[in-house]
Parts: sequence; structure tokens; C-alpha cells
Amino acid sequence: MKRYIAVILAALMTAAATGCSGGSGKNEEAIQKYGSDTLKVFNWGEYTGDDVIGNFEKEYGVKVINDFFDSNELMYTKIQAGDRYDVLVPSDYMIERMIKDGELQELDKSLIPNMANLTDEVKGLEFDPELKYSVPYFYGSVGIVYNKKNVPKELVEEQGWEILKNTDYKGSVYMYDSERDAFMVALKALGYSMNTEDEDEINDAYEWLLEFNDTMDPSYVTDEVIDSMIGGIKDLAVVYSGDAAYILSQNEDMAYCMPRQGTNIWCDAMVIPANAENPALAHEFINYILTYDASYDNSYTVGYTSSNEEVKTYMTSPEGDYYENEAYLPRVGYELDEVFHDNQVLREKLNLLLTKVKSSTE
Amino acid sequence: MKNFRSMAYPYVVWAFVLIVIPMLMIAMYAFTERGNSVITFRLTLDNFKVFFSDAVFINIMKRSFYIALVTTVICILLGYPAAYIAANLGSEKNRMMMVILITIPTWINMLVRTYAWLGILQDNGLINSALRALGLPAIKIIQTDFAVIFGMVYNFIPFMILQIYTSLTKMDKSYIEAAQDLGANRLQSFIKITLPLSLPGIISGITLVFLPAVSSFFIPKLLGGGKYVLIGNVIENQFLTAGNWNFGSALSLIMAVIIVFLMWLTKKADRDPNAEGGL
Repeated sequence: MKRYIAVILAALMTAAATGCSGGSGKNEEAIQKYGSDTLKVFNWGEYTGDDVIGNFEKEYGVKVINDFFDSNELMYTKIQAGDRYDVLVPSDYMIERMIKDGELQELDKSLIPNMANLTDEVKGLEFDPELKYSVPYFYGSVGIVYNKKNVPKELVEEQGWEILKNTDYKGSVYMYDSERDAFMVALKALGYSMNTEDEDEINDAYEWLLEFNDTMDPSYVTDEVIDSMIGGIKDLAVVYSGDAAYILSQNEDMAYCMPRQGTNIWCDAMVIPANAENPALAHEFINYILTYDASYDNSYTVGYTSSNEEVKTYMTSPEGDYYENEAYLPRVGYELDEVFHDNQVLREKLNLLLTKVKSSTE
Repeated sequence: MKNFRSMAYPYVVWAFVLIVIPMLMIAMYAFTERGNSVITFRLTLDNFKVFFSDAVFINIMKRSFYIALVTTVICILLGYPAAYIAANLGSEKNRMMMVILITIPTWINMLVRTYAWLGILQDNGLINSALRALGLPAIKIIQTDFAVIFGMVYNFIPFMILQIYTSLTKMDKSYIEAAQDLGANRLQSFIKITLPLSLPGIISGITLVFLPAVSSFFIPKLLGGGKYVLIGNVIENQFLTAGNWNFGSALSLIMAVIIVFLMWLTKKADRDPNAEGGL
């Protein structure tokens, strides 16, 4: 008897685990048109506007399964392990690598007429110059958020990244806890390219970070930096522009500077993996994201710069939500600014070096 | 009774799916090269070579064990008296109250509680604001050994107290009475009777505190300011930031082997009859 109860229990549990996704009935119309009524999207956490997904589901009568990742590498490892999604939103260098690995499919641009809405600034970027595989979602920069009350603007502009080593601000600095960003800061401060493979230059950057670590007593943070800077806990922080735009909108003492030595300009874009189950609906989704309403909702909620020209112009106009917010709009055409290139071997080496830097303090 | 056996089958399936398979996958990742496309099965020992080739990982490992050890010792020193007091409160009702009070903090997510401590300990947090309001100089708490160990002791001490408490309440009180009848004073009867009999509780407490402490990553990350790198942080970083699951798995496997060995040692100490009363 007990065995039957156990079997029933197990069956119930499996049913509960799998049953949830069954939900509402199938939409025949969508299935006719796209071959399926479910779209699987894999995006960054907190990267879409509140109503974007819901509106898309309503308008097209489909169901969107929205999963989240917090690093490009995590996303790609899952894809390589065989997970299937219809739309991904990786960053520039990861798109470059996925194109190289043949993991993406070429887009059918006739299905994405809204690509006409894209701002010129996201066109012709090196990772996919003709936008054959990708459609930009957000773009931005990395810079320094500083407290205007304690750090003079002229000083930040004059010293750029070097201000992170200004001992007047010892104990008051947040560094971004990722080898890519930490080494970008060091390499740029030294006047090198952030994509360098030169041993000596990398070693110089390593020394720079060691000295920074020893003299400045920094904290290494990722997303915690947002709340901490809104709370005004420290004076200086290396921050992504979208997070910076949000910090600036919440604490008016904070300002943003794109250092004179140049910085990282990045772009996250929507792509369709080669093994997507529902590419037709994926194209429809990408096209939908490029509409004014969806782009506005995304950019308004998240704070990153919209790839939609009209939205971007509105946001920075006097009526817009990010008027005079220097973090919202990345500078254009500054020759020391760079885009990351994919280099896995280098990345692993930098990862080891940053671990060494961080654990060098006793 | 025999019928109840079949009740264990779902658990066996459960354990297989959630414990055995992930462990096998960790081992598989640890011994393979990272695939450049789809999954490739090229066996390699490179992941382990990386670990032993640079002193940094071994130092981090040492530090992790040191911190976990200090945490465990403090948990015993603070937890034992607490458990002892709780177990000797007399009425059942009072003892239950005490147990509830000890476990209440664990009803709230650990991460949330650690975040709360971040707010209290940081440079212009609660403590320093209070000090400043009193005209006293601020003290540096965050990003120190103290903050990390404090966070760990705070989070893990309930496990120690409960284990010791259970073994103390289960103890047959007539042994102590017998010792006192034979002329032992309270200290002697504690050292000769109570302590040895509660040893199993201390040992399972050590397991429950040491294990999470040695692999914890968010406590050093939050209270150590990201600068306080322990082995858990390196593993987390390999999986989430660096995307190198293979090296992360190799690290996890090395940790697992060391921990299994340590657990085997403690188990052995527990069973060894000579260890009893030999303290």
C-alpha cells in the first residue's frame, strides 16, 4: 500500500513541476503564422521595461518565457551545453565570439523593418559592422561616478582614471569586480589599448592595480555599487553608464565623468542563435523591441541609452527623463574610446592576475 | 516495519538526481577541457595544474580554512555556554522558548541578514554614525578579518548551539547525580561527565559550521568588500564572471576531497573510545 502512496506522491510532484508551464490554451493563429506560440528569451536581469513583455504577449497572442543571466560567459556556457533560446541579448565581444563559433543565424532584415529606427551611433561597430547577426538593444560606456561635494569636477576631468589612485580619497573608492573592467581602467590609465596582448603592457597594468589595491584600500563590487553610491557611502566609483544614470537621478550630489584617457564603449544587441526553435517569432520580437513604445519603456526603466534614435533624442531633451544627465548619453567619436574584442585566453590570464591583486592584501 | 522501507525510494531518486548527478557533472567538468563548441570530451589535467602552478590559490585555500577554523572555535566557545544554559532552564516551556529565540534569525534569509550587517558595520553605517554623534572617532570595521569572521559566526552559530543543546538534553542526568554522589564537585562532573557525553553534539556542530564557513562566498564578498578573497569567491567567480566552469569544478573537487578527508578524521575522533574523557 505504502508503495502506491509513494508512487502517487512522486507522480503528483512531477505533475506539479511540469504542469505549471501548460497554463493557458494554445493560440492557433500564432501557431499558424509563426509555427509556435512560445518564445524563449534569454536576457540580462533587470534589462526590460515593466510592460514590454506583457504587451508583446497580448499583441501577438503568444507566450514569452523570459530567462535571465548575469554574465555573458554564463549565458554562453548554457547555450553550449545545449539550452535552446530564440532571442539572446549578449554584449559586443560575446557576439563577436558567437559569430566566429557559428552559433548565430543571419537575420532576415525584411522581417525587421523597424531597424530603420536605430540611431547611427550603434551602426558600424566592429563586432558586427553591417548588423548581419545582431540588432542593438542598449549601448553605453564605463566611467567614474563621483560625489561633487567632495571631489572637484576639474580634478576628475584633469586626472581621469588616475584619480582612483589619488590618496586624498583613500578608502573611498569602488572598483568594478571583473577582470575585464579593472584591467580596462588600468590599461587606459597607462595610455595603452584595452585590447592589448603585449606582455609588458599587461604587466604594467597589473602593477598599476597592485599599487591601487595597496594604497587606496578599495572595495570590489558589482551591482551593490548602485545602492552604495545612491547612499553616498564613497566618493568615487567605476560604474557602467546606465547604472550611473540611475544613480545620478536618485542622488543629485553625484556626477559622471568619462575619463580623458578613453574608456570602454559597449553595446548589447539582440541575436538569434543558430539552434533557435522559433526564429520567425524571434524576428517579430526584435522588431517589436525597436518600436518607440517598447524602446522607451526599456530605456526609461533601466537607464541605459536606447538604440532607438527617437527615444534617445526625447530622453535627452528638456522634457525627457534623462535631461542633462551626463551618464545617459555616451560621447561619440572620441578616438581613445574602444570596444572590447573577444579574447578568451587573455581573459583567463587577466582573471588570474586580478585574483592575485585582490588577495595580495593581508 | 518492512513496508516503510519502500517509502525511502522517492528519497533515493531525489538524492540521485540532486546529489549524485551534480557531483558526477562536477567531476566531469573538472577533468575536461572547455569546449569551443557543443560539448567535447577531451580529458585533461590542466585545470588542476593551474591550481598548483600558482601559490595564490593555495594561499587562498589556506586562508579559507583558517577563517573557517577560527569561526568554528568561536562558535564552540560561545555556543556551548548558550546551549548549556538553554538545556538547564528547567521547564520544558522555557527551553522551547530559548530554542525558538535561537532559531528565529534563521527564518530570515542569510543573504538579507548579511546585507543588514553591511548597513550596520560600514564606514558611515549605524555604528560609526553613533560613534560620530557621540564625538568619538569612527572605527574601520568593514573589510577586516573581524567583519568576515563576525558575519560567519553570526550566521552559523545557531547550528552549533542546536546540536550541542540536543545532545545535552538527551543526556541521562543520573550520570551526573552518580558522579556527585561519589564526591565530584560541579566542575569535575562537568569535565568528566557532561562534556564527554556532549561531544557528539559538538562534533556534528563542527560539521555544520565548518562546512558552510569554509565555502561561504557572499559573507566575505559583502563584509570583506570583495577584497577578502576566499576559495568560495574564486569558485563563484570562475562560474559566474570568468565563465570557466572547468576550473571552477576542479577547485570544487579539490575542496570536496579535503573536506571529505577532514570529516573522516572527525568521525574517527568521534568513534575512538580513547578520545572520550581524554580531554
